[in-house]
Amino acid sequence: MRGFEFLRPGTLNEASALLATGDAAARPFAGGTGLMLMMKTGVFSPSRLVCLRQTEAEHRAITPTGDGGARIGALASLSQIEHDPLLCRLAPVIARTMTTLANVRVRNVARIGGTLAHGDPHMDMPPTLAALRASVVTSGTASRTVPVEALYAGYYETILQPGELISAVLLPDQTGWHSVYLKCTTRSADDWPALGVAVSVRMDGTTITDSRVIISAATEKLTRVAAAEAVLNGATAGLAAFTAAGEAARAVETIEDARGSAAYKTELVGVYVRRALQQATGAGGN
Amino acid sequence: MTEVRCDIAFTLNGAPVALNIGGHENIVDVLKRLGLSGARESCGQGLCGCCTVIIDGVAESGCLTLAQLVDGRSVQTIEGLDADGALSPVQQAFIDAGALQCGFCAPGFVLMSHQLLAANPDPSEAEIRDYLSGNLCRCATYPEIIKAVRLAASRMRAAQAA
Ligand SMILES: Cc1cc2nc3c(=O)[nH]c(=O)nc-3n(C[C@H](O)[C@H](O)[C@H](O)COP(=O)(O)OP(=O)(O)OC[C@H]3O[C@@H](n4cnc5c(N)ncnc54)[C@H](O)[C@@H]3O)c2cc1C
Ligand code: FES
Ligand code: FES
Repeated sequence: MRGFEFLRPGTLNEASALLATGDAAARPFAGGTGLMLMMKTGVFSPSRLVCLRQTEAEHRAITPTGDGGARIGALASLSQIEHDPLLCRLAPVIARTMTTLANVRVRNVARIGGTLAHGDPHMDMPPTLAALRASVVTSGTASRTVPVEALYAGYYETILQPGELISAVLLPDQTGWHSVYLKCTTRSADDWPALGVAVSVRMDGTTITDSRVIISAATEKLTRVAAAEAVLNGATAGLAAFTAAGEAARAVETIEDARGSAAYKTELVGVYVRRALQQATGAGGN
Repeated sequence: MTEVRCDIAFTLNGAPVALNIGGHENIVDVLKRLGLSGARESCGQGLCGCCTVIIDGVAESGCLTLAQLVDGRSVQTIEGLDADGALSPVQQAFIDAGALQCGFCAPGFVLMSHQLLAANPDPSEAEIRDYLSGNLCRCATYPEIIKAVRLAASRMRAAQAA
């Protein structure tokens, strides 16, 4: 992993300019935890790394938005997010998910922008944030707002263009919503999961008025399961609806790997979607 | 590929150091060159904590930290803990509780335990397990390590109250 330039521009716009060179081996560098692993194993040999940490003062704040949500700067570390009082109140599922995400040192260093841009389908934050209906705001060569569920093009692939940087994550108001993220690890507790399931359910009394069902790890990329949501929306919260949603979610295409066969993961999808819904709503037993 | 080199200057356990490094080197490589062997690279992947260093008060895996990123910052290693000749309360508790066998993992566990106790002076066993889940002990001294952290915590609280 020798012979790369390491540049430290002061703003995200300068960083974008340094990245929009047409060189696929030029990459932004945030926490560097994902990149360092890829560089050490020879999976990726950068020609140029453009460090974003100098822009931290401007881009790490976590602030309330006018409409009851929150804006998280892309350079906020995962530890900062885990302990942020506003986020803990707005979406406690985030801090709960953090406790089994890597370890304290990785969370101290990894940034939310790098976490979402990495594109590894086994990761915990992308499904959690997708279920919370979060979006990323980008700047640089393209400037747009993209729902987290639409950020991924494939395995380790995002729709971000060269020089397009994530500058913030927007979390909408969560009033009335209940969210849970579950991961199933089949080998050891700290291994990558065979399956991740994130669900969010909006309730009016015992009626489900809106929902999100997100599958990760078992699939090539994070996948929103509209068929399961269609079963839930308008239904009464309870075992029947949750079991039916789990059945509907089994339609996602799962991939075989060392953590289980595709058929096994499809079984897991049905069970874990039901369990996640039970836990999120407190209905239908557990 | 030609190596890119750079000059860095940082504070190491309270004293200023300056040196020329390879752009690809991590902080463990550089500490070794400076004669410090307490942070050691074992898994090299951020999993085991043997390479733990404290940078501007924050624990990081040295194996994943490019050395050039510590330019201008303050780095603490296990060697800084007893610089005044006295073991830190956590170091003493690790010895008293027998929380090391070969000792390879101990610098990382001790530094992480200091971080935990600074944030949470009276952690439960579950909190200790969670916080130290990114540290591996190949000799499996885990029960003694948890005892050591609790012992250090109670001694540190008693010292605080005195
Ligand atoms: C020991 C270990 C254990 C782990 N365990 C888990 C786990 O249990 N669960 C889990 O979910 N994850 C886990 N991870 C993965 C970890 O969460 C990621 O490595 C981390 O979140 C990446 O964030 P980063 O800031 O370090 O990204 P970097 O390594 O800096 O970057 C990652 C990617 O994003 C790009 N990038 C960075 N910032 C931006 C930006 N602002 N805009 C656009 N592109 C950007 C980079 O070019 C690169 O392609 C683990 C990692 C390690 C090392
Ligand atoms: S060597 Fe760095 S965490 Fe294991
Ligand atoms: S005491 Fe030997 S690795 Fe922990």
